[in-house]
Amino acid sequence: MTELRLVTDDFTAEGPFSEGSPLPLRLPPGRHQIPANVVREHQRQRLLAAMAETIAAQGYASVTTTAVSERAGVSTSTFYKHFGNLWDCVLAAYVATSDRLCAAIEAACAECDPREDPLDVGIEAALSFCVEAPAFAQLLCAQAPLEASAVAAARRILISRLAAMLRRGSGERVDSAQPPGLDERMIDATFVFLGSRIATVGPAQLRELAPELATILSRPRQAA
Amino acid sequence: MSPGNRAKPDKESSAMRSEARAAAREALPVETTDQTPDATIREGEMEGVLHVVGELGFRAASVRAVLEYSGGHRRQFYDHFESLEDCFQQAYRTWIDRLGVQLLEAAIAADGWQESVRAGLIRLFQFIGERPTIARSLFVEVHVAGGQAMAEHDAAIERLTVALDSIRAELGPDDAAPESTGLFVIGGIEACVCDVLAAGESQRIWETLPELMHLVAGSYLGPEAADAAHEEARALLEQKRTELEGRQR
Repeated sequence: MTELRLVTDDFTAEGPFSEGSPLPLRLPPGRHQIPANVVREHQRQRLLAAMAETIAAQGYASVTTTAVSERAGVSTSTFYKHFGNLWDCVLAAYVATSDRLCAAIEAACAECDPREDPLDVGIEAALSFCVEAPAFAQLLCAQAPLEASAVAAARRILISRLAAMLRRGSGERVDSAQPPGLDERMIDATFVFLGSRIATVGPAQLRELAPELATILSRPRQAA
Repeated sequence: MSPGNRAKPDKESSAMRSEARAAAREALPVETTDQTPDATIREGEMEGVLHVVGELGFRAASVRAVLEYSGGHRRQFYDHFESLEDCFQQAYRTWIDRLGVQLLEAAIAADGWQESVRAGLIRLFQFIGERPTIARSLFVEVHVAGGQAMAEHDAAIERLTVALDSIRAELGPDDAAPESTGLFVIGGIEACVCDVLAAGESQRIWETLPELMHLVAGSYLGPEAADAAHEEARALLEQKRTELEGRQR
């Protein structure tokens, strides 16, 4: 069974492609001066992006290591140099995307005007992430298959992180008597809701949902 | 059934065959107008595909595994369905429609909106307790299958959303919840169900009744109603959980 500890590195952190222009699909062929670790990181990032794009395009039913490798422009043997199996790669993509989403929300809240409602800022940051990286957003929203139990565990971790942010963002409105787990349910519902919206109307319209989503998320705890 | 015993023949398969046929006969009193042996076999195949998908996952399901569960022959299967995917889609439509009717019937039988919501949730939890493997197919693996089955899923969600939204007729314009509240709330319930089913802890679903009632009532009616709904559901569980869980169809 895949374990979460197998994938702990964040490809957006301090990797060779953490800043700068978008990745080229392929590195220059043949002999070149690019260090081996840079090539490996490049391949890994392409595989993670390809996994998200393949699942977004085909769903979980027909995703294969071959399809993902082809989309990433690497061989299947290269795929298996990076990941033990298909689900390891899904998990790595999920964890990396989770970290990117949380970082985007935290950065937006840290930089916002104190007069702004942190809940609104966080929602706008999350929706912007979904608009800019729709395949990754769909990966986060999609229900994982039964055999991808590690992805389900990663999803629960993400939901806990976002629920903690929701509690912080809703600080003054939090009712101490609210049942434990309610914020997690709200985040879970938000994922399903956004996944449904991306599937039906596409990601471009998501930002328009911000005011409605803020009302929905705060309504159960607003003063009567 | 586990992947390791899929090829085991005879005793276990025979037991499963009779169980599947009996369950199909009982579970499809409305849809099964044709009581011929062929129709019964077809119903068994439809239950079989949901059972196999719930047990092994959609990606690992096969016609062979379905036939091991339901009985019958490969040729019969392909007389009834074009493919495994076709069988899953037809089975999904039949079972999700039937479950939707059961939830709405339970809701209609209760007095008041909150009581109706709670009755619908209780019926859903009973189904999950009685048929956890099929529930995994209906709620978790349908997202993997996608296609027409997912369209049926979305249609069922839409019907339940309309039923939930019936409370809007009793609310003034100033009290109205946002337009997407129903979809959001149903999404929260489904996510909770998926979480429990994927973890293989179907009986834990009962523990979520108070918080789900808080979510539903709070999203439509605000925090006071949420607290009341939570407390009522908690008290109901304390008094009647064993009775509710033990309900037999």
